[in-house]
Amino acid sequence: MNDAFLPEIARLVGVADETPDTKTFSLRFRDAHNGGNFHFLPGQFLELSVFGYGEGPFCIASSPTRPHTLEATVRRTGQLTGALHRLGPGEEVGIRGPFGNGFDVAGARGKDLLFVAGGIGLPPLRSLIWNVLDERSRFGKVTILYGARTPTDLVYKQELEEWGKRSDVELHVTVDVAQPGWTGNVGVVPSLFRKITLHPDSTLTYVCGPPIMIRITVHDLLGLGFKEEAVISTLERMMQCGIGKCNHCAIGHRYVCRDGPVFNCAQIKELVE
Amino acid sequence: MAFVIEKQATTTWLQKLLECGEVIAPVRGPCGDILFSSVHSPDQVAWDFQNPLSPPKQVVLPQTDPLIKITRNAGSYEVEPVYDDGRRFLFNVRSCDAKGIAFLTQMYEMEPADASYLRRARSLTIISLACNKPCPLGFCICSGSGPFLSEGYDVQLTDLGESYLVEVGSEKGEAAISGASNLFRSATEEEVSQRQRMEVEAKNHFEEETCHFASAMRRISTGRVQDALWEKMSDWCLECGACNMVCPTCYCFSVKDLSEDGTWIRCRIWDSCQYAAFTLEASGHNPRADRKQRMKRRFFHKVSAQYYQRDGVVGCVGCGRCIKVCLGSTDMPAVVGAIRKGKWNE
Repeated sequence: MNDAFLPEIARLVGVADETPDTKTFSLRFRDAHNGGNFHFLPGQFLELSVFGYGEGPFCIASSPTRPHTLEATVRRTGQLTGALHRLGPGEEVGIRGPFGNGFDVAGARGKDLLFVAGGIGLPPLRSLIWNVLDERSRFGKVTILYGARTPTDLVYKQELEEWGKRSDVELHVTVDVAQPGWTGNVGVVPSLFRKITLHPDSTLTYVCGPPIMIRITVHDLLGLGFKEEAVISTLERMMQCGIGKCNHCAIGHRYVCRDGPVFNCAQIKELVE
Repeated sequence: MAFVIEKQATTTWLQKLLECGEVIAPVRGPCGDILFSSVHSPDQVAWDFQNPLSPPKQVVLPQTDPLIKITRNAGSYEVEPVYDDGRRFLFNVRSCDAKGIAFLTQMYEMEPADASYLRRARSLTIISLACNKPCPLGFCICSGSGPFLSEGYDVQLTDLGESYLVEVGSEKGEAAISGASNLFRSATEEEVSQRQRMEVEAKNHFEEETCHFASAMRRISTGRVQDALWEKMSDWCLECGACNMVCPTCYCFSVKDLSEDGTWIRCRIWDSCQYAAFTLEASGHNPRADRKQRMKRRFFHKVSAQYYQRDGVVGCVGCGRCIKVCLGSTDMPAVVGAIRKGKWNE
């Protein structure tokens, strides 16, 4: 029996600024052998340690189709994330995982995919997006709708540009509040639905963002004719142990760390808080 | 298989156990109160006592439980699990508390299992003392956790007056008496039936025989408890978390790094689902920001059909400790009763 709480040591190989308070950390296992055993699905999460500060749950923002480095995009909001933000390349952190169910990538083959993300909700979807784009021929139409409070708060700006240029991706970006120089859309994410043609019968939608954004987006999607099973989201809770013991992430008798974090709307409705 | 040990021979037996490992038993503290503590001499062990306010769950799940040792050397880290698998005997533990530990072990054994907990639990031998008389606040009979046990012990003792009937429930139990086998003789049929009579008699001492878990369970599981009722009940909750701390079946925890002589020990620390920060996320979002949501959570986890289906037991052993510690009287029987009646007696 493995010690569930024993982390693997990983080294930061890159730190990239996304926004003034958000960075993307690229990680590699110090013992390369351990990396070989690390298989994950988009949507799964890690318990990331900054030793001396503790550990917390972060989604894997990179795609399993690019297994050499793991990436996590983290906003600086507290002690642990503050400590992580002070680290640079070459420094070590701990990793446990992957935890959770992840997105059903195989089940999405042949479908049109609609990604709807708000703010820091893009990272978990980015893992799936790159997975899909790296195996592009297996999937139908790919549409990405992304919004943030201001243009400064948009993460993965370079990738957004790259996706925008691709002919096999339809991308629409919006901000709640424009800043000087912004020529794009202004409005909340669901306002982008007007810009695209929706095919509720053949499309799976993936929604991630702040709780209020998820609520409004899901409400709109269901109103537009999507079935509950086709509207998929990933929930955020204070997962601490990752193995369904500590109870921080329990919703009713379900555990976000084990049964989730990916749920479709029908499943979310069944959760009794 | 049942044996008998004469009362005066228990001293020699305890002496033998002390040679094999640590013995933890109810002892009388300096102020006269009873508490579970490591003993060094057989005469410290209490035989006639009210169950201590703190359950013995500390023995398998310490309040601060070291999991991982982290050392730093020239910018590089090493991590190793902290091992605690010393042989221990939990002696004279009451039926409810033995059941409490069995419950914790069931939770931590569930896949993926928790090695750290199981190392400790598997090296622990539970020697329980059946309750001939129920304790004043106990309602163990409602959840099948007493007054006598049919499982969940390694050895169960029953006070027959001049001697103890000794029931062995596991290999660990066998090992605990085999080291002193000359002290034990096979029980006679009469002694075994005396034990059965005592169990029936003990059960008759309970004031109320009906168990109200079932009707509360139906309401909780189907969301038929009015929000207003949760609100009213939670108005009485002081969010002190005492119910969680003294509950033999509560096992929620947080994980923290504690600094220790230039290294860190990553510890599991008891936490309470009644604390507002229990579900607070770094973003400031708190899915259970309301006290009534947290109280609902506590009782859902303990008595919902959803958990009952998964675990096969309710998360309550009827020890009555929450009744004793809760200043707002939102203890298990009070809340279960209010849910059943749909009304909170203020």
